[in-house]
Amino acid sequence: MRAALGTAGVTLGLAGAVLGLLTIAAGLARNRLDLQRRGVASVWVVLAGAVVAAVAMEWALLSHDFSLQYVAQNHSLATPFVYTVASLWAALEGSIILWCLVLAGYAAAVVHRFRHQRDDRLVAWAVLALLAVCVFFFALMLGPANPFRTISPVPADGPGPNPLLQNHPLMAIHPPFLYLGYVGFTVPFAFAVAALVTGRLDEGWLSVTRRWTVIAWGCLTVGILLGAWWSYEVLGWGGFWAWDPVENASLLPWLTGTAYIHSVMVQERRGMLRVWNLSLLLATFSLTILGTFLTRSGVLDSVHSFTESPIGPWLLAFFGAVVATCLGLIGWRGDLLRAPGRIDSPLSREGAFLANNVLFAAFAFVVLLGTVFPLLIEAVNDDRISVGEPYFNRMVTPVALALLFLMAVAPALPWRKASTELLRTRLQWPAWGGAAALVVAVLVGARGLSPLLAFALGGFAGVAALRQLGLAARAARRAGRSPLRAITGRTNGGMVVHLGVVIVAVAFAAASSYSTSVKLRLEEGETRSVSGHEVTYLGVEQYRVGDRRVVKARVQVDGGRIYEPALTQFPNATQTIGTPSVAWGFREDVYLTLAASPEREGGPAIIGVIIEPLVSWLWIGGGIMAAGTALSVVPGAPRRRATDPAPAGDDLVAAGR
Amino acid sequence: MRSRAALISAAVLGVLAAGFVFVLSTAEPATTRKADSPLLGKLAPPLVGADYDILDSAGQWVLVNFFATWCTPCIAEHDDLVAFSNAHALAGDAQVVSVVFSDDPDNVLAFFAENGGDWPIVLDGDGRIATDWGVARVPESYLVAPNGEVRAKIIGGIEVGKLEQLLAEAKATS
Repeated sequence: MRAALGTAGVTLGLAGAVLGLLTIAAGLARNRLDLQRRGVASVWVVLAGAVVAAVAMEWALLSHDFSLQYVAQNHSLATPFVYTVASLWAALEGSIILWCLVLAGYAAAVVHRFRHQRDDRLVAWAVLALLAVCVFFFALMLGPANPFRTISPVPADGPGPNPLLQNHPLMAIHPPFLYLGYVGFTVPFAFAVAALVTGRLDEGWLSVTRRWTVIAWGCLTVGILLGAWWSYEVLGWGGFWAWDPVENASLLPWLTGTAYIHSVMVQERRGMLRVWNLSLLLATFSLTILGTFLTRSGVLDSVHSFTESPIGPWLLAFFGAVVATCLGLIGWRGDLLRAPGRIDSPLSREGAFLANNVLFAAFAFVVLLGTVFPLLIEAVNDDRISVGEPYFNRMVTPVALALLFLMAVAPALPWRKASTELLRTRLQWPAWGGAAALVVAVLVGARGLSPLLAFALGGFAGVAALRQLGLAARAARRAGRSPLRAITGRTNGGMVVHLGVVIVAVAFAAASSYSTSVKLRLEEGETRSVSGHEVTYLGVEQYRVGDRRVVKARVQVDGGRIYEPALTQFPNATQTIGTPSVAWGFREDVYLTLAASPEREGGPAIIGVIIEPLVSWLWIGGGIMAAGTALSVVPGAPRRRATDPAPAGDDLVAAGR
Repeated sequence: MRSRAALISAAVLGVLAAGFVFVLSTAEPATTRKADSPLLGKLAPPLVGADYDILDSAGQWVLVNFFATWCTPCIAEHDDLVAFSNAHALAGDAQVVSVVFSDDPDNVLAFFAENGGDWPIVLDGDGRIATDWGVARVPESYLVAPNGEVRAKIIGGIEVGKLEQLLAEAKATS
């Protein structure tokens, strides 16, 4: 019943997407507006299909319908409610349902947003591109990743989701955010394709795409940071980022997306970099597909230990088709659309954005190379090597530091050309901020070139962002507007995001450079001192929670609160899962794990203690980035007219000079 | 004359992307991935634990598995190792030996007690064995022939089917 309903939903979605695509294509080819409209409206059918499929799967999970293979493999009678709902994305097939749901939701949002321009050929082309992507993902569900496959005999119970995925509520929200980000980049991709096909790159199209990109980018940012937080809270090694292929796969589109959000401003102000911006959007979408392939095909070894799945070749073929389409469009249209004009001075806002883009492109290249290098080497001379953290840290640190520097300088630069006097006045306070951060860092005992540089540049960039916000507040007050106006709108919201980035960067540098890790064998009641923190082991308790067996250690930190790192044995699973407990603080976290429970009652236990400075600021900074993103999509103060408006309307003629 | 920069860049990138897709499409899966090692074809370095010496295993194929209980792929491959060990226990033609890579002995004992596996475990407190064998990160495994020669190095998790295939190939060429 649920299987039939689910399959019906998937079929409906696929049929809607295929018919809609063909109808729009026919409408565009024959200039028939009625066909075009009908095709665009089919997006609602696709959305209905996705909703039916998702509802069918949730219903099957909640009603313990083990006749579905997916439920039998990823659910058990004892799985708690929250994790049952989240089991929709606990494994491959279900996560494709979520992907389709988000994709159809975005497509419907696009159609709704542009309902008054639905006769525009550009919108029709964009919807056509969205539907083409829908066709692929719905086809996956009917073919190799069918979530509604049934099995017989029907088991009475299942093993439940992977224990690591039912250990923390963050697992319930991290994947949806990641998907909102990942899939959200399909919208700007679709508009980029539409722009290239129709040859229209005017301003209106641009500002619309920018906002969709910013929303997707914000969701991806939150998704990535929630993933880092989850691994910190759950995995028990005290880390939050390991340059694992799965993490890199989410970072790559984030990097190109970030580059686009910045360089698109050059296009808006000066009409330049148009083809480059389109290429960034196309690359961002291609990278989301490549990332999905890398993490789902089993070609790379990951701590997430994904197994091989049958959709690998499909994703690779789709990636190839997407890249071929993108490059074909750029090759066909790119030279016609390129804008005249050049950057007057490297010491200008547009110069800084260009440098920003070069750095982000380098960053993405370094990460991509490190991720796929083992595969390339293997193909060339059959050697197997692995690229680890040292490579990434060495290559990425200078790029990240240069980006921090740019983040401080760029907001102070005017468009076109800056004078040194102007820079001196504008950068005076930020420079003092950087110096102060450096002095404070040295005084509290920080050592090492890279982290000290990160702190100094962080202070520099942080004060630069605060200065911009201060100027905006002053302008708002003079204009008699609400002080809220000082933090809303693209520029001000962007500065809030910058503040968040600075906080994350400083916290990242501190936590990865100055953590101390020890394992202590402690008798009951014994106290040991670790980097100035008193850690007292008080004993263990054992009990059962539902279907799980838990051994919980009671550990007192600094004579105050008692923390309870635990080991959990899940039924039907061979592994024990450690649950760390974190004594959190603004200055540093005391990260406790139960490394080994006592062998006899009252015996010694082994407690892992990791002291990590400033980790909690990663999450605070992430929250500020998210808030800044939200503020930046709220309309802000009316912007000044562009100093050099891009040739509007007939771009092909303008560009053909 | 009009610039053709976009066309040329697209063409160059297209060639690169085609090569990349080709590489990806022919890549082997990451489990049981054979790796290069200077030890291949040479006699295995010493491997001595409290009550185990690899010399005692002469006449048998030995899978030397470097692992830690904190490593997720190691946990994932454990069931496959158990299956491999059980499959060869009766015939006595191959056995598994685990070397503990920077981990606490108590964790390891608890891990084996809970997850099964009754093969020898060698502690490597000072990391000497891992250094001798050239282990960079876990899991890594070495297939040692009955004559003591190292025949294969495997990085990443092990999948029992592929391991059997590897063993069969190694047997065929010895």
